Amino acid sequence: MLEHLINGLVLGGTYALVAMGLSLQYGIARIMNLSFGDTIIAACFATYILFSSFGINPIVALAIILPASYIVSLGVYRLMMEPLVKRAPDEGALEVDSILLTFGLLFVIQGCLLVIFGGGYISYSFMNTPVSVLGTLVSGNRLLALVLSLAIGAALVIVLYRTRWGMILRAVALAPKSAPLFGIDTDKAARMAFAIGGTMAATGGVVVSMFQTFTATTGVVFTMKALIVVILGGKGSVPGAIVAGLLLGLVETFVAAYIDPGLTLASVYTVFLLLLLVRPNGLFGKA
Amino acid sequence: MKTSIAFALAFTALALLAVAPLILPEYWTGVLLGMTGYVTLATAWALFSGPTRYVSLATVAFFGVGAYTVAVLNEVLPYPLVLLCAAGIGMIMALVVGLSTLRLAGVYFVIFTFGLAELVRQTVSWWEVNVTYTMGRYVFLPFEGHHIYWQLLALAAITFLIAWAIGRSRIGLALKALGDDETVAAHAGIDVTRIKLFLFVVSSTIITLVGAIQAPRWTYIEPSIVFNPTVSFMTLIMALLGGAMRLWGPLVGAVPLFLLFEWLSGRFPDHFSIILGALFILIVFVMPNGVLAKIDDLRKGRQS
Amino acid sequence: MSAQLEISNLHKRFGGLVAVKSVSFDLKPGEVVGLLGPNGSGKTTVMNMISGALPCDGGSVRVGGKDVTALKPHKVSKHGVARTFQLVRPLPTLTVGENVLLSVAYSRKPKWGRAAQAIVDEKLEFVGLAGRGDEKVTNLNYIDQKRMEMARALAAEPEILLLDEWLAGLNPSELRIGIDLVQHLQGQGMTILLVEHIMEAVRALCSRCIVMSAGEKIAEGPSAEVLQDPVVIKAYLGDDHA
Repeated sequence: MLEHLINGLVLGGTYALVAMGLSLQYGIARIMNLSFGDTIIAACFATYILFSSFGINPIVALAIILPASYIVSLGVYRLMMEPLVKRAPDEGALEVDSILLTFGLLFVIQGCLLVIFGGGYISYSFMNTPVSVLGTLVSGNRLLALVLSLAIGAALVIVLYRTRWGMILRAVALAPKSAPLFGIDTDKAARMAFAIGGTMAATGGVVVSMFQTFTATTGVVFTMKALIVVILGGKGSVPGAIVAGLLLGLVETFVAAYIDPGLTLASVYTVFLLLLLVRPNGLFGKA
Repeated sequence: MKTSIAFALAFTALALLAVAPLILPEYWTGVLLGMTGYVTLATAWALFSGPTRYVSLATVAFFGVGAYTVAVLNEVLPYPLVLLCAAGIGMIMALVVGLSTLRLAGVYFVIFTFGLAELVRQTVSWWEVNVTYTMGRYVFLPFEGHHIYWQLLALAAITFLIAWAIGRSRIGLALKALGDDETVAAHAGIDVTRIKLFLFVVSSTIITLVGAIQAPRWTYIEPSIVFNPTVSFMTLIMALLGGAMRLWGPLVGAVPLFLLFEWLSGRFPDHFSIILGALFILIVFVMPNGVLAKIDDLRKGRQS
Repeated sequence: MSAQLEISNLHKRFGGLVAVKSVSFDLKPGEVVGLLGPNGSGKTTVMNMISGALPCDGGSVRVGGKDVTALKPHKVSKHGVARTFQLVRPLPTLTVGENVLLSVAYSRKPKWGRAAQAIVDEKLEFVGLAGRGDEKVTNLNYIDQKRMEMARALAAEPEILLLDEWLAGLNPSELRIGIDLVQHLQGQGMTILLVEHIMEAVRALCSRCIVMSAGEKIAEGPSAEVLQDPVVIKAYLGDDHA
């Protein structure tokens, strides 16, 4: 029981972490990014290569992957998203365009990974020693993953709620039309939000790769779960993403443990649908 | 006058297509079959997703349910009844999905349909393993390629008729209106949710039938075969390439893309998804409203 | 005579902000009433709650004696309520005629084909757009878009017309035409509730006025009296002018 609880929290922690990234991209940059999960998986593969070929510890790898993913995300936004943002007559049109574009991106990333790494399951062994927590054994990498998710998530929350810069981002999320009236450069905010979102995805990838097997095609599942967490939590709500992420991780772990591992997605969807019917704007969303 | 000429032309084309398998070698009948399948899927998809701008990624969920229904029932019921059952199941599923997601904003719908196929596949697999203790089923129906092709051709013709009739009816007008501005449409007296639901059900039922009719092609069916997500993606991109807002758009997109994919998957099986992705990106940037609209624009540009 | 439109204790909150606070008023059949008030006083919110665009948090709306409070806009329209929007909202993929046809096709007595076309032509002619049904909406200038929106509202053959600043943004000669149009409808016995800032139009059209401020009704009565009321002047112009 306690073991499942901890595993659920670990999984939920990573969900919350990546969902915060997606929430930034969707809430502030207004880009519905369907290739989000593939960014996660690309980071998984990068960590794997760094660890198994170059012997670089995943925590050190973070220091390489994070700046790299920030730069790549920024480039993707500049090159592909910005023309769409400029051309879109309204928010609905941008939504449809961004969905289709990132959908294409999804296939390109996935295809590249498939060509390079093949379709097999990949995993590596890092800190795979059991640690005793409150009387149950938990593997060290899971514990590290939980700590990392919590630390990075907390850092983001502090930046968003305690710095001037975070306030600018939140202002754009709340009122994209009025923010420029206060001298806020919304284009710049959107660019940064997208890039930070991509960086969060990469962080999630590094963390996930430490304790889960992955394939070139798992990205879609991550996108789906991250999207569900964002919607459940309420568009653009960071506390919402955290609560919803943890909830999802727990539901998944318990369904897998007590009902059937084959029904995890079905259970996630059931939660999603039920909540949508009761609270269409998410747990922490505003009408 | 113009309509009757168009009808005569369409009918002649249909007749030519119908006799084609009697002349063509078997391989080309197979190609025509697959192509007709995708033309029907793309047209049915555009019926709902075109005017409403609700991007549905659930095509294969319905397609697979159709195929699976045939696999389960083909030895129990006579074939026409099996098709009827498939249509009925598709319809009920569309009602449930539509009722729970169509009241909400388009994004929720996209996200939900994004995972629906996977959800259905997991549920069917789980059911087969834990309840019926089977994994994989055989379809024994006395059909050859051209029999299936004729059925699909008939379904394609019906789909075009439905799309044409809707385009001319007040429902077509309402659809265009709610794609523009749902609030105004609602104040004009249109039950926005009901119209969306109606179209989603019609579109999904046709898609289910395409899956059901194509089921005998496989002989052996299991969830991972009939719920292959590529079907959803290809349908979507075909409709977009041609133009989802026009009657003939999906056809114009489906025919060349089907041939292209057929060729690509033979030559470059590993690079298939990269090319598919690149095509998506290209379409979004170059012709977001489809080939037909692009041609119209170019023509107008030349005139002025 | 019983009321055509009965609003009682209407209430609306947006988060912590109370936008409309127990507002009640009646409209008798054939009456043209002005709903006035400074910006942000809740007039449009009241309009939106009547037409069903926004759900109410309390109170009731009755049309011709029937409760329409919890109904969606398309149902409310079937009770004979039609409206125009504060900012003109034409449907750009439809032609001018199709914009109007839409209302005919989904009105209480839906028509399609030739019968519907006859109504469309009649309404377009009434608002001064005769023969322009095939034009693109985007080609119309501002007043013509407003005319088209009026034709679209009238095509549903409503009994109650809600005009949300329909006369705003018109130049003096266009304003004259607009006022004439509304007066013509008044002559036909239409019940009209209009949100308006142009006092010239209010004086010309409305026998009675309701004034709102900060979500509450602060005055109601014959236009001439209400516009002289110190409370109303204070709400518009501040204490110094009262």
